[in-house]
Amino acid sequence: MDQRCPPRPHCSARRSAISWVRIVLPWLAFSLALVESAAAAREIPRVADLWSLQPVVRSPIPAGFTDSTNAVDAFIAEACHKRGLSALPAADPLVWLRRVSLDLTGLPPTPAEQDQFLRDTSATGREQVVERLLASEQYGVRYGRHWLDVLRYADVDNDMPAGPGIHLWRDWIITALNHDLPYDAFVRAQISGNRAARRRIISPEGHLSTVGPRPEDLFALGFLARGAVSRENADHQLAFSAVETLSTAFLGMTIGCARCHDHFFDPLKQADFYSLKAVFDPLVLRPVELATSAERFAQGRAVEEHDARVQEVVTAMREYIAPYHTRLYEERLSALPADAQAAIRKPAAQRTAAEQKVADDYHPILRIDPSKIKAVMPPERIPRYDEFLKQIGALKAPPPLPVFWTVADDPKRAAEKSYVLTTGDPARPKLSQEVTPGFPFITSQPEFRDGRRETLGDWLTSPTNSLFARVVVNRIWQWHFGTGLHPSANDFGALGGKPSHPRLLDWLAAEFVAQKYSMKWLHRLIVTSETYRRASASHREQDAANHRIDPDNTYLWRFPLNRLDAESLRDSLLQIAGALDLTAGGKSIEASTNTLVPQRRTAYVRRGYQASREVMSPYLQTFDVEDGRTVCPRRTQTVTAPQALFLMNSQLVDNVAGQLAERWRQTGTNDLAARMTLAFRTVLGRPPSESEQATARAYLQDETGTEKNLAWLILNLDEFLYVP
Amino acid sequence: MSHNLVGRSHDAGAFSGHSRRQFLFQTTAGFFGAALGSLWAQDGRIAGARITPELPPRAKSVIFLFMCGGVSHIDTFDPKDNKWAGKLIDAIGFGDNLAEMKRPVIPCRRTFTRYGESGIPVSDWFPNLGGVVDELAIVRSMWCHETNHFPAVTEMATGHRDRVVEHASLGSWVNYALGSENQNLPAFVNLGRPSSPIQLSGGYLGAAFAATPFQPGPVPIPDLQPPPGTSSVDRERRLRTLAELNRGFREQHEIHSAIAARTRAYELAARMQLSAPEAVDFGTEPEAVKRLYGIGAKETDEFGKRLLLARRLVERGVRFIQVCHAGNGGNGGWDSHDDMEGHAPLCRQTDLPIAGLIRDLKQRGLLEDTLVVWTSEFGRTPWSQNTTGRDHNPKGFTSWLAGAGVRGGTILGATDDVGYRAVESPVYINDLQATIVNRLGLDHRKLEVAINGRPVRLIEEGSKPVQAILD
Repeated sequence: MDQRCPPRPHCSARRSAISWVRIVLPWLAFSLALVESAAAAREIPRVADLWSLQPVVRSPIPAGFTDSTNAVDAFIAEACHKRGLSALPAADPLVWLRRVSLDLTGLPPTPAEQDQFLRDTSATGREQVVERLLASEQYGVRYGRHWLDVLRYADVDNDMPAGPGIHLWRDWIITALNHDLPYDAFVRAQISGNRAARRRIISPEGHLSTVGPRPEDLFALGFLARGAVSRENADHQLAFSAVETLSTAFLGMTIGCARCHDHFFDPLKQADFYSLKAVFDPLVLRPVELATSAERFAQGRAVEEHDARVQEVVTAMREYIAPYHTRLYEERLSALPADAQAAIRKPAAQRTAAEQKVADDYHPILRIDPSKIKAVMPPERIPRYDEFLKQIGALKAPPPLPVFWTVADDPKRAAEKSYVLTTGDPARPKLSQEVTPGFPFITSQPEFRDGRRETLGDWLTSPTNSLFARVVVNRIWQWHFGTGLHPSANDFGALGGKPSHPRLLDWLAAEFVAQKYSMKWLHRLIVTSETYRRASASHREQDAANHRIDPDNTYLWRFPLNRLDAESLRDSLLQIAGALDLTAGGKSIEASTNTLVPQRRTAYVRRGYQASREVMSPYLQTFDVEDGRTVCPRRTQTVTAPQALFLMNSQLVDNVAGQLAERWRQTGTNDLAARMTLAFRTVLGRPPSESEQATARAYLQDETGTEKNLAWLILNLDEFLYVP
Repeated sequence: MSHNLVGRSHDAGAFSGHSRRQFLFQTTAGFFGAALGSLWAQDGRIAGARITPELPPRAKSVIFLFMCGGVSHIDTFDPKDNKWAGKLIDAIGFGDNLAEMKRPVIPCRRTFTRYGESGIPVSDWFPNLGGVVDELAIVRSMWCHETNHFPAVTEMATGHRDRVVEHASLGSWVNYALGSENQNLPAFVNLGRPSSPIQLSGGYLGAAFAATPFQPGPVPIPDLQPPPGTSSVDRERRLRTLAELNRGFREQHEIHSAIAARTRAYELAARMQLSAPEAVDFGTEPEAVKRLYGIGAKETDEFGKRLLLARRLVERGVRFIQVCHAGNGGNGGWDSHDDMEGHAPLCRQTDLPIAGLIRDLKQRGLLEDTLVVWTSEFGRTPWSQNTTGRDHNPKGFTSWLAGAGVRGGTILGATDDVGYRAVESPVYINDLQATIVNRLGLDHRKLEVAINGRPVRLIEEGSKPVQAILD
């Protein structure tokens, strides 16, 4: 930031008051305006009334509506039957293959994978494809990206202290998904740093042992560390952010409203918010250095050498400019009030605290920049001075050792009481409203034997928490179908609407718990269903009744069309060009349009926000990638002219078209049909139809009809961007 | 939707969910439906936002000139005598400054001349603007809250200071409320590098309403033109073949609105390929007009080109043209802490072109329905940090407006004796924004959308258009 900002105040409490009021007041203003109308318009439901807070009920699987043995199909078929909808038949097998490959890994099926699938005529052919995809490391990259949107991953967010090393949290998530870490452990680890549900074990012999965190679960705490976006007030930001993100992500509740006032629509009191926040109040941000011992020794030497080199030049330079510096300094000092002068002239060690404050206050005035020195220096001496400055600028400090920012409970903060804060301002606790750590929607508060966050993790992930499993199975459903069984993935409250298939949602939630929270189990169940296999193409006339009864396809009588997201689009293009580097993990990268060297998957491209500069590439912005500042349950899917321009004219698409044409030539065949088949299968996952072949043939007959242009045409087809 | 840059997919299930953008789709009828019928503009998104739907608005377009870094009002449009110069004054209460602090007032070295019939004084740094001062309504009593660049730029751009949600910039609100008048160009265009990406952001209104930045040179939009070597015959043939190859898929998926929207997006992209280069091509502009903007002269060439382009975009129906000056991705070029002389070249770069823009708009009859606004994120203090420059000052600064029924040759408000605080008729930046949307015929109270059931506005309760400077 600005080197010459107005001086910062020295009273941190006042400072924090200002910044918090700034953030919260505007919300409060219109919130208050809402109070009357809201209170008049609607009754706040009691815990007993809100559907999502009722216990999960596992209904019997409906019988007699479908031949499928998949429970998903049974519930969906029953709902269609009840409304008089006739579901569409299955899509072409290759359409399904492309759909499921892009869905589970974010990558299109290669021609070899298509061949393998078509050759396997056994009954388990589809299951084998699903197993292959779920076992692929690329599954974690794809679904990790979904979770990172929900958990607010960002490489940069203003002055987020946890920025360096935050990618290790991203990599932890990807690894956890690839190992099918049970969802309850996935959440517990990110809240407490320990995935274990049973942290004390008494052996049959009577020995007590404790189960500590696995070493890599340190990185799961990036979830909490990411919450602070500046060093000032970082601890309070952590706690607020933890409550808001975890309540939205894991509970599907917009508890954030209760930060300033009792929730208007849901049974949440302001005290509930602060009770939950009290769980996180003891947290402080801590850096963990990740260097080896050898690296630390080497760093020590490198820093020492660097400092010595700088000191050498600085000493010589100070001597060189001393007369001018002293003169300017004296001029400025003598303009100050007498008492300030006296304080500043004292050696620092002898100043009283008050005198030190005066010295600090006037520090900006007494700072003398090179331009001022040069203004009073004889001109012939300036080049040598510039030389000094250049020398200092050229001395680069050794890069810092790798670090990861985590959180830790601070015993001093843990001993402090927590209060409801007026307008969320940490400097304005309501002393009459002390809160103790606790959780919303429950009557008897838990005992915190094992630590606050561990206990929260136990409550959150308990099978009796009616929101926990419902929210996650709904998210996963939404990632497969585009829309959840409950339409508002982040809001299971009174304003979020009602689920379209409440019994299916509950059955999935109950079975998910019974399946030990296995996310891969749920993926498998969904993508092997007939519901997931349906065609998406539909004629208004042919399916007139369906369109009339359910135009929005709420009841899934067809499969919804989905646009490739930014990651899948760029990854597909790179794979088509043979330029995709599938290495997983590591620091985030900048997107490149060069396809002559393999490029990493787009999940690893930097994202985030900073007021002073663009963090995210225009490409990511054009294709609706969020910057991680809010919990994003689902990307917006815009259709814009800049997207069309990217596909029509961008360097990346031009390169890919060239490389695709080159691949045809390398097949060595002159048979146009064979070449076209390769192109269609590489890009669209299917061979061309006869009419497509005829159109392409006609196109190539003209002199402008180059093979590269034909590749361009295929890349610009609707069917490439929109997966049927 | 047919005239917009954007369509949205129904099929993505976009009508539910609570992402900050998706709330748009939760309003009952949705703007694809009934809401559209009542609007004067085909693509406006806020029903009933017009003040008097039966009358045309005073402004068809806005040119919003943003000087990045904080222009000193004291050295340009708000002269003070130098009686305080050299004295240490109390700067308590300045910004976040709660410490007891004395700061030395520095003298203003400018001379001011009274210009035009109005006799409004303008500094010798802006002699050409002096020549058009009778067109300007100068507001000497602007204020905002934020003391540092990025927060203040955010406040000026979005009308808000909090970052609990990503607020939308003024231009994107205009785009959202009014839509585009031109079928071939975006409604909100930015020229010149801004201080912060927030000035371009569509925030919770969505990326589709964000500014389209036009780059200098013959290719104003990235990927606008096909790679070199593509002939227009080739391009047309390809697009024809593409339509043919797409036909089957489009028929099969005709019910998906995204597919129809994509067809239109390609059409618009193709039209933009033709119309955007035409808009940025100055080949048909007479030399005299280019000279008016200072094009061809070293210091004024770059900014002059930006302003001539702004006029050409006005002629083509672009609604909101934001022109940034001295944005450097940092604090902004006008941030003269060290020495006020830092302003001198920046004034030379902008003085002639802005005056040229006003004259050119006037002679073409465009000033009648084009609003020109000139502002910074804040002004500068009377004192220095013991340099010959000035510090940031949100408590009092100057903006001016011209055209579209703004009373030219007027001064509104005043700062105190040293030029620190706005003391007479203070105008908060929300008031300035209300004034701008008022000229566009919009009721500032109606610029409101709901996020998660909570209304969010461009302009908060209590602010209103500055009627005193409006006809």
